[in-house]
Amino acid sequence: MQYVDEFRDPQKARALVHQIDALLERIPTARNRPLQIMEFCGGHTHTIFRYGLEQMLPKRIEMVHGPGCPVCVLPMGRVDDCIAIAQRPEVIFTTFGDAMRVPGSQKSLLQAKADGADVRMVYSPLDALDLARRNPDREVVFFALGFETTMPATALTVQQAEREGIRNFSLFCNHITTIPTIKAILDSPDMQIDGFLAPGHVCMVVGEAPFGFVARDYHRPIVITGFEPLDILQSLWMVIRQMAEGRCAVENQYARVVPAAGNPPGLKAINDVFELRAFFEWRGLGSIDHSGVRMRSKYAAFDAEHKFAVPNLRIADPKSCQCGEVLKGNIRPWECKVYGAPCSPETPLGALMVSSEGACAAYYNYGQQPRRMQTDARMAAHLETTR
Amino acid sequence: MSTASALEGLYPFLHGRPKDALLEHTALLESVRRKSADSLAAKERFYREHAEDVVACAHTLAAVYAAGGRLFAMGNGGSSCDASHFCVEFQHPVTAGRPALPAMNLSMDMAMFSAVCNDVGVRHVFARQLKAHARKGDGLVGFSTSGNSENLMQAFAIARDLGLRTIGFAGGDGGAMLRSGLLEHCLVVDTDSIHRVQEVHVSLYHILWDLTHTLLADQRGATKGTDHAVR
Repeated sequence: MQYVDEFRDPQKARALVHQIDALLERIPTARNRPLQIMEFCGGHTHTIFRYGLEQMLPKRIEMVHGPGCPVCVLPMGRVDDCIAIAQRPEVIFTTFGDAMRVPGSQKSLLQAKADGADVRMVYSPLDALDLARRNPDREVVFFALGFETTMPATALTVQQAEREGIRNFSLFCNHITTIPTIKAILDSPDMQIDGFLAPGHVCMVVGEAPFGFVARDYHRPIVITGFEPLDILQSLWMVIRQMAEGRCAVENQYARVVPAAGNPPGLKAINDVFELRAFFEWRGLGSIDHSGVRMRSKYAAFDAEHKFAVPNLRIADPKSCQCGEVLKGNIRPWECKVYGAPCSPETPLGALMVSSEGACAAYYNYGQQPRRMQTDARMAAHLETTR
Repeated sequence: MSTASALEGLYPFLHGRPKDALLEHTALLESVRRKSADSLAAKERFYREHAEDVVACAHTLAAVYAAGGRLFAMGNGGSSCDASHFCVEFQHPVTAGRPALPAMNLSMDMAMFSAVCNDVGVRHVFARQLKAHARKGDGLVGFSTSGNSENLMQAFAIARDLGLRTIGFAGGDGGAMLRSGLLEHCLVVDTDSIHRVQEVHVSLYHILWDLTHTLLADQRGATKGTDHAVR
């Protein structure tokens, strides 16, 4: 296939769904309950909703939408720290656009900008470095955010800044890693996930090997997956095929992009610049061991946490949202007790409602009835009958 | 650096490497400091804004007992524990000279609870018990960190029909407990953190218990002859 349209061919999609349905006949579990397959990545979630894939799939497959949106899972405390840095008069605070509206406890970066903070959107950490070159009298801080996918670009930018001796540039590092979170989900005692679609862009950096434990230790099939509709359907077919054949392995559907060994120069840069934190707080999921990185001390001059003495990590507080139960497949987004109200894309409480790639936001935005409306309707009906 | 050692640096647990104890200890200490500060700030904010409401709730509870009524409390999970704790305070007063007062946690009868859950659904577990036990003028206190627990809302609807005095302890934006208009009082702790909400609730019902007894002390003569001990 050469062109993107070919990855969206309805006929091929229908053929794949037909083959998935045929494979399901060979899986005894699928006769008793729907198989739960988790797509970890928010990009996959977005594709599933945008192209209506969930409606195409046999009823015996239930998609569980994972926490794979780094914007979604950023905790309020870290956004508060961003704003504290951005409000310093000497700072130009730079960020990717999708982080602008993530709510902190008081306001978002967008609101801080409206209040006078110098917050600017950039498309790459190199854009931020360029701003630092052009504004030597200001401190330029880049809001480093994302999974393993974006770490190499950030690390290489820091290395570049050091080589050029640019001292008015720093990172506020909020990079997080996917593997510990998949393990945390697998370790949940009431975990019901039968198989996984692994995040293709992360694998482009780390390769296939880190996902081996999912098949080896937890006996779940996992397929590295691309982001077009046919990528997702083919990966589902590969997961179901493994189950039908009674085996568990890491398979790579996204081989056109993901080399088995990942990106060795990228990994080298990551290890040079970053080291693991003891734990990192995920919005809606809580603290997960070794799931975040910070800058190594040799790059302290480029570390905004060091330069500006921002508050350190904090363990998550559980919110009234039920993101954890949604992520484990125990409840569907609309069954969360705060779905729709007070948790909505405009005022998100939970990780999964924050950006358009979050599962709850996707359900909300693609026309699902908010729970509050359902609850209020039930309550209204009840009050009517008891008056 | 090889790819294998780079991956080991990024995912040490996959290679059996233990945590860095010093790193973790430092992060934990910082977490203690931040959490305790959050907890104090939540309490200060709540009482600054709601002191009058707390006194009003105490008057309501005192009126229930002064009239010979009983108190029912309800909640789910940790809030059920709060409901239980609240009832213990009234039944088993720790301060000398204060009478034991009737208070019943509606989560305590597991047979009844499981029967209703199994037969008709968890939405009805409190409402059905209220229908059996409550009388006009009794009190009902409900604890819900979201304010949206459906079984509490069912019970508050029944309580209205029975003529009960009602108080809600909620969190977040108050949810249905605040919006429904069913409750006489709804005290909302304005945070989305379940733990912070419940920490304020604990202090709140301790204060409420104390104020209620203080108010009842002035009414002892008027309540003589009721079948429980406000004397």
